[in-house]
Amino acid sequence: MVAETAREFEALEEQARKLLSVFVAAGHEAVAPAVLQPADVYLDVIGEALRARCYVFTDPDGDEFCLRPDLTVPLCRLHLERHPDGAQKAKYCYNGSAFRFQPQGADPSHPREFRQCGIESIGAAEREKADAHTLALILKGLEVAGLKEWKLRIGDLGLLRALLSAIEMPQRWRERLGHQLWRPKAFREELERLTNPPQQRASSVPEELLEGIDPDKPDEAERKVAKYLDDHGIEMQGVRTLGEISRNVARIAADRRAERLPLETANLIEGYIGVKAPARAAGARVKDLIRDAGIDIAPALEAYHKRLQLLSEHGVDVSRAEFSAEFGRSLEYYTGFVFEVQVPDLGEGSPVAGGGRYDGMMKICGAPVEVPAVGGAIHTERLLKAVRG
Amino acid sequence: MSEKLQIALPSKGRLMEQAVGVLADAGLNVRKTGNERGYHGEIEGVEKADVLFVSASEIAWYLKTGKAHLGITGADLVQERMTDWKARVELLKPLGFGFADVVVAVPDCWLDVRTIAHLDELAGSFRNAHGRWFRVATKYVNLARQFFVGHGFNDYRIVESLGATEGTPAAGTADLIVDITTTGSTLKGNGLRILDDGVILKSQANLYASNVSEWTPHIREAQNVIMSKLGV
Repeated sequence: MVAETAREFEALEEQARKLLSVFVAAGHEAVAPAVLQPADVYLDVIGEALRARCYVFTDPDGDEFCLRPDLTVPLCRLHLERHPDGAQKAKYCYNGSAFRFQPQGADPSHPREFRQCGIESIGAAEREKADAHTLALILKGLEVAGLKEWKLRIGDLGLLRALLSAIEMPQRWRERLGHQLWRPKAFREELERLTNPPQQRASSVPEELLEGIDPDKPDEAERKVAKYLDDHGIEMQGVRTLGEISRNVARIAADRRAERLPLETANLIEGYIGVKAPARAAGARVKDLIRDAGIDIAPALEAYHKRLQLLSEHGVDVSRAEFSAEFGRSLEYYTGFVFEVQVPDLGEGSPVAGGGRYDGMMKICGAPVEVPAVGGAIHTERLLKAVRG
Repeated sequence: MSEKLQIALPSKGRLMEQAVGVLADAGLNVRKTGNERGYHGEIEGVEKADVLFVSASEIAWYLKTGKAHLGITGADLVQERMTDWKARVELLKPLGFGFADVVVAVPDCWLDVRTIAHLDELAGSFRNAHGRWFRVATKYVNLARQFFVGHGFNDYRIVESLGATEGTPAAGTADLIVDITTTGSTLKGNGLRILDDGVILKSQANLYASNVSEWTPHIREAQNVIMSKLGV
């Protein structure tokens, strides 16, 4: 439902006023970031896939812009304009249009243009507290707008990251799995690949080169790579240096010699990813899962439980929440807690609200350091529909 | 639109010669009408057909919009210009000329990069070292994007290049390229190597029919004559 008639427009505006008054009362400053955004930041976070999902275009000067697909990046940029060091604590709220290209064609649940009303907390160091505050306030807004029936889906990428750092494996494997964290399919393939015997991991990098390289002797590796290039009449070109190339050749050589990732370890990671349970029970499930493997991720588990506790204290009915370890992994910028509010009538593919923690975003937008940040947004057309029933 | 079948052929170079040649071999003699430098023609014995000489890349657009009923052009151009090409056109017959591959090529000195997966693995450290993602120069923006998405490779930026793409890595404007190649010798000459899994499309010139143009019984009749001569 898009506000195509004046009446729908008024209904949406009135709903937005209600939501914003809840957010402002909770100490969030109402702001209106720019609709038109430089495409660069988005391309950095989402990559070229952005162009398949958003309205990206070139202006007469040849600079690329996009119609904002959400308000989180615009808000981070607004915050940075005000506070160039980025770390300043601030709480914002907003209501405005966002735009998405719908490859299957637009429909009322998946419009090209829709309005988001939401909140962001930037710079709050007590992460679980800020997470709980964000979700509780979004739920309060939904309730004030008249929503009665809802259920909650939550996830926590912090747990998966903690698991990957606690499991013993070569650092480069950890980096590789970390790189695929937001791509469930590629992650699974990588995991499978690492459990294969070394020969099967081999690539078509010249055998004669790999054989002679000792991964622990980088200087020697560089000389051997240089000699190989020379012997084969290959000239250097491009920005990658001989050092970069030979370091990576050495990594590949090391990989070939490394033991395989034990199957039990891969199964443990797969087992974790498969966890789907009521929020309170999920923590215990994860704990059981890793106990036998002798792995300790106590701080991440404590953070998970503390967040649930704080949510309860805010009056959120946690028994309506389901934890899914897989949830949040298709949205590239979330780094920790994630949530989604679903309404039975609209179905799982059309949540009325969602959000999470994105600690890496401020730095990508230009802050000198990483800044903790968490936010949530309400899909206002869907909310209006759900409230009307 | 006139009541005649519109068939679009490449307007110059070897592609035109070969397209006209294939038709002639099938007994379909194409003749220019009016000015020798003009862009209109006819097929001897097929009165209900007009020949339009158009640049090869524009033929895809003629088919896409229905301005032409039939057209001869490269698969690379059709697939690049129409993301929904399977719905918009029908491939009637591969014609056996204009062979070329659309490929991903990297500097040969990247001894450590043999597959798309290697590129993906390397993306993070490349960015740490150079402060930006890989730049991919190409005129096949859509083909490149679809191919990379299919391989789960997303950490790159496209630099649109309309000529001399193979020179962009040496010039420093791009790190790798997606381009068309027939023998591979131009790539080699520029110090580039095709990735092991880097063939995006094996292209050749095809005869296409547009699904969106207006097909009257008259026009169908003309198409049937052409098709039966070509043995489709």
